[in-house]
Amino acid sequence: MTVSCALFTALIIIGGYISIPVGPVPLVLADFFVMLTGLFLGARYGAVCLTMYLALGAIGLPVFAGGKAGLAVFWGPTGGFLFGYLLAVVAVGFIMGRNKGSLGKGSLVRLLAALVAGNVLLYLCGVPWLKAVTYLSWPAALGAGLVPFLPGAMIKIAAAFALGRALLPRFRPLGDERCLS
Amino acid sequence: MAQVIFLRYIPGDTLLHRMDGRLKLLCLLLLSVAAGLASEWQHYLALLGVAVSALAAAKLPVWALLRDWRFFAVMAALILVANAFFIPGDPVPFFPFAAVSRQGLVAGLRFAGRLLLAVMICSVVMGTTPLARLRDALEWCLRPVPLVPAARVAMMMNLTFVFVSVIMDNYVEMVCAQKSRCVESCKNPLKRIKYLVLPLLTQTMMRTDEIVYALEARCYSEVRTPASFGTCRADWLVAGVCLGVLAFVILW
Repeated sequence: MTVSCALFTALIIIGGYISIPVGPVPLVLADFFVMLTGLFLGARYGAVCLTMYLALGAIGLPVFAGGKAGLAVFWGPTGGFLFGYLLAVVAVGFIMGRNKGSLGKGSLVRLLAALVAGNVLLYLCGVPWLKAVTYLSWPAALGAGLVPFLPGAMIKIAAAFALGRALLPRFRPLGDERCLS
Repeated sequence: MAQVIFLRYIPGDTLLHRMDGRLKLLCLLLLSVAAGLASEWQHYLALLGVAVSALAAAKLPVWALLRDWRFFAVMAALILVANAFFIPGDPVPFFPFAAVSRQGLVAGLRFAGRLLLAVMICSVVMGTTPLARLRDALEWCLRPVPLVPAARVAMMMNLTFVFVSVIMDNYVEMVCAQKSRCVESCKNPLKRIKYLVLPLLTQTMMRTDEIVYALEARCYSEVRTPASFGTCRADWLVAGVCLGVLAFVILW
């Protein structure tokens, strides 16, 4: 699990640097990989991954989206989204439960619910933080931190759902470790 | 992508290459806090002075690093433009764009400056510290923290950096492969994400398995001989300079 945690932490870091231009607001894949971390590793190890990601950023390594780093990012406008990542990964992992290696109809509904809940928690944590730090009004905070990202969030939920469906049955537990069969 | 040297160790025999990893981590922390707290121009000048001196002292290949920093320069430019146009304030005299505010321009320059400083400082630390020494230093720092398996966490951090390079290489390969299959003509964002991420995840998970097998084959254990550290007067001097810069940023 050590190696898997490192892999998903690296994916979240890379996700902050990858942007896919599909409209006026490009899709950044960090939150997408956060959701995948919760799906594949579960709540406990997902939280370990995110804690390590936040710790690496806190000591000054440019791992946050766009290469930002340092403790100042936590109390900046996007700090709420960083803590929201932690809540989101725990929520996604908790709702999905332990990966049994196959996805029935009930599991697919749970998969979708987990991804939606993770995203809702992310924005519930991020937008009020943005409002508090930048002294914006509620409409302005929603306009800056939520509305432009909603289409992207929906696309990412759909993509994570498709990837989870395709890869979760293959990413099966193997003792304490998990591997791709 | 193999030529990308950002976040990779570049062998050398300089003061910074020989410096104790624990003190280097402390310097990174102090300077990143200083960069976060910087608000006046003299703060940025002091930090820039330290970063440039460190780059020169480490004798890192500056031109190759500049090439790698292009991405961050673009990010910094975007931050600058977004702040300049969207933060309301007084108009800038003699500026061709009326929508640009002075306050926005200043805020944008500060954000962009912080980003570039963080990248420069991190490049020096990562470029002069082998991953194994960084892991040992992290393990040493985490050892007194209760309930944290220091060796495992340090190993995880070490592997994370290995994976960043591996995934970056896979990502570039994947993008080239998709381009050659005309994926750019596909307007469906869902399909584009799927075509990019599915093979990327599959490949990197396979790589994970290979690393697990390699670790098992080498009987990797968390019970290891503790690393030995040694500091000299020059190391403390560098740490003192970093502490001085932080004090300057806080007090001035």
